[in-house]
Amino acid sequence: MNKLLPFFFLILFFSDYDTKPDQYIARLGQVSFFSYTSVENIEAKNNQVLSILDLSKNEIGISMLMRGFVFKKSLMHEHFNESYIESDIYPKATFSGKIIDFDATTKEPQTRMIIGDLTIHGITEKAEIKTTIELIDNHYVLTGEFSVSIKNFDIKVPPILSSNIAKNISIKFRFEYNRYEE
Amino acid sequence: MRKSVKIISLAVFIVINICIYISLNLSDIKAIDINKALTFKNTESEVLVANFMTDEKQADEIYTGKVIEITGTVKEVSFLNNRNTLILQGKDKNSGVICDMNANQIDAIHKISIGDKITVKGICKGFLKDVVMLNCIIITNN
Repeated sequence: MNKLLPFFFLILFFSDYDTKPDQYIARLGQVSFFSYTSVENIEAKNNQVLSILDLSKNEIGISMLMRGFVFKKSLMHEHFNESYIESDIYPKATFSGKIIDFDATTKEPQTRMIIGDLTIHGITEKAEIKTTIELIDNHYVLTGEFSVSIKNFDIKVPPILSSNIAKNISIKFRFEYNRYEE
Repeated sequence: MRKSVKIISLAVFIVINICIYISLNLSDIKAIDINKALTFKNTESEVLVANFMTDEKQADEIYTGKVIEITGTVKEVSFLNNRNTLILQGKDKNSGVICDMNANQIDAIHKISIGDKITVKGICKGFLKDVVMLNCIIITNN
């Protein structure tokens, strides 16, 4: 039941956004991940990540399709979706959190922490993510980088491939928001 | 004896790593050529979005992972993050079909205007607030 709570909050979070002001949406957010090992480096990008920003509450919600990651090699894409992430069972990764001490009236770039729940592969973990928030041409832009341990999200790598996949995956993100109009 | 075991173990280790390297880096036979791929289904962008909004699970089973052709009105052309993206009108103002275009479509995209009715072919990846399609090509621009 505890594992399901973040999903309920996420549903409430998104359903709440259709009618309220001070909301911003990024439909083409970019999330990249990198796995660096001595054997090989693996990189993938997802350019269609959804995020909604509510400045009245300083809250942020993110949802992305795991099948939306693009790899250099299609076989890597296949392994990622079928063997590691199991996209048929867990098609989306989500994050819902609160931006701490964000001041929407300041036009200067701000570096802030976002604290929330990150769900990947059906597992929800608390996450603290550092982000830079800028106002560029009237668009809020959030960028940042953090890392996740694949062990924490129950992602199993066959022993034969363990030297090819990093234990900690580096994740970068960039969201450019437009005002979310009804 | 011990030496021969070590040599055999080392040989097996090297062969396994070569196999892994080949499988991950050289064999790429499953890459889809979207031009040649058979279209699984044709539909309108409003209908596709409505299907996902009505029953996402069922729509996933029908469309996700499949090559489909979608006809709709262009509501946005975006070059954000160095990607070439067309967004087709969906069921309402806040929904649509995001088409991430194949790199070979760059010239065709620059001829597209907002309001054009077009047909694109691509691989459906699922639904967030919009249906997401990757590796898209323009079939017709009416």
